[in-house]
Amino acid sequence: MSEFFDTLAAGYRIEGPEFVVSRESIRAFCDASLDYNPLHLDDAYMQGSFGKTNFGGVIMHGMTNFGLITRMLTDWAYSQNAVHRRLETRWIVPVKPGDTIRPHGRVKSKLVTAKSRWVVIDIEVRNQRGEQVATGEALVEFPPDAA
Amino acid sequence: MPQDFETNFWKDTGRRKIWDDIVPGEPRITIPYTLTLEAIQRYCRAVGDLHPLYFDEQYARRSRYGGLIAPPSIHILLMFACTPADDWMRSPGTVNAGQSWSYNCPARPGDTITLQARALDKFIKRERLFVVHDNVFFNQHGDVICSGRGWTIRPM
Repeated sequence: MSEFFDTLAAGYRIEGPEFVVSRESIRAFCDASLDYNPLHLDDAYMQGSFGKTNFGGVIMHGMTNFGLITRMLTDWAYSQNAVHRRLETRWIVPVKPGDTIRPHGRVKSKLVTAKSRWVVIDIEVRNQRGEQVATGEALVEFPPDAA
Repeated sequence: MPQDFETNFWKDTGRRKIWDDIVPGEPRITIPYTLTLEAIQRYCRAVGDLHPLYFDEQYARRSRYGGLIAPPSIHILLMFACTPADDWMRSPGTVNAGQSWSYNCPARPGDTITLQARALDKFIKRERLFVVHDNVFFNQHGDVICSGRGWTIRPM
């Protein structure tokens, strides 16, 4: 019954979906999230500076990373009857139209508590140049009735 | 999209609080939002997530969830859907620096979602203006759907 959780060890890898970023994908995310911040829409505006930062053109919503990481985690968790419980993220590098990004996970540790079982997963998203664009940590619960 | 959702984020700029005005701890005004299956699926498609728990009623009914649900990350949509046009989260140039979210139970199509939100903290780091956001989403039964904290850099 508990085989999968018992065999999970630190270093176990989870691979997420590859995602091609375009102006159209960013626009679709605006409509899906209702986040119409001009950071994601207005090239002229994005030629300006933000405090000490200059992006040089529109950028993808950071939360697209979050959505893709979630997709990776839920695909994995649902297939094991487990539950995605937490995700913490930091954005490292802005993602731009033309980039391809992909989330990855790596089991860091696991713990059995009084009432359940938990897996801590290190998260990163990399672009087509191999640069880290986001990092994070996730928590997946394997309830006693899970695989 | 909520019928009266204003997609021009410049329009209400003058009515929004800037970093100097934000009082940590003060509740933000929020709006109840009815989550539709259409909105859930539009979000899912935007991240290429076609899992049958979000699209296949029969599959979902046989699952442990007993029916169609929204993915955990639906709070990305809920955040904007539940805040008014003059909320400072919509200030053009707001940069998201990171987020952490905990998930309790899934949101479902037809749920009426409410948000309790506030700035929890504000600070200056490397000459940038930061705010820490504190958000909790509830369904119509009073169950917590998810709770989260966000860090944004405010426009100067």
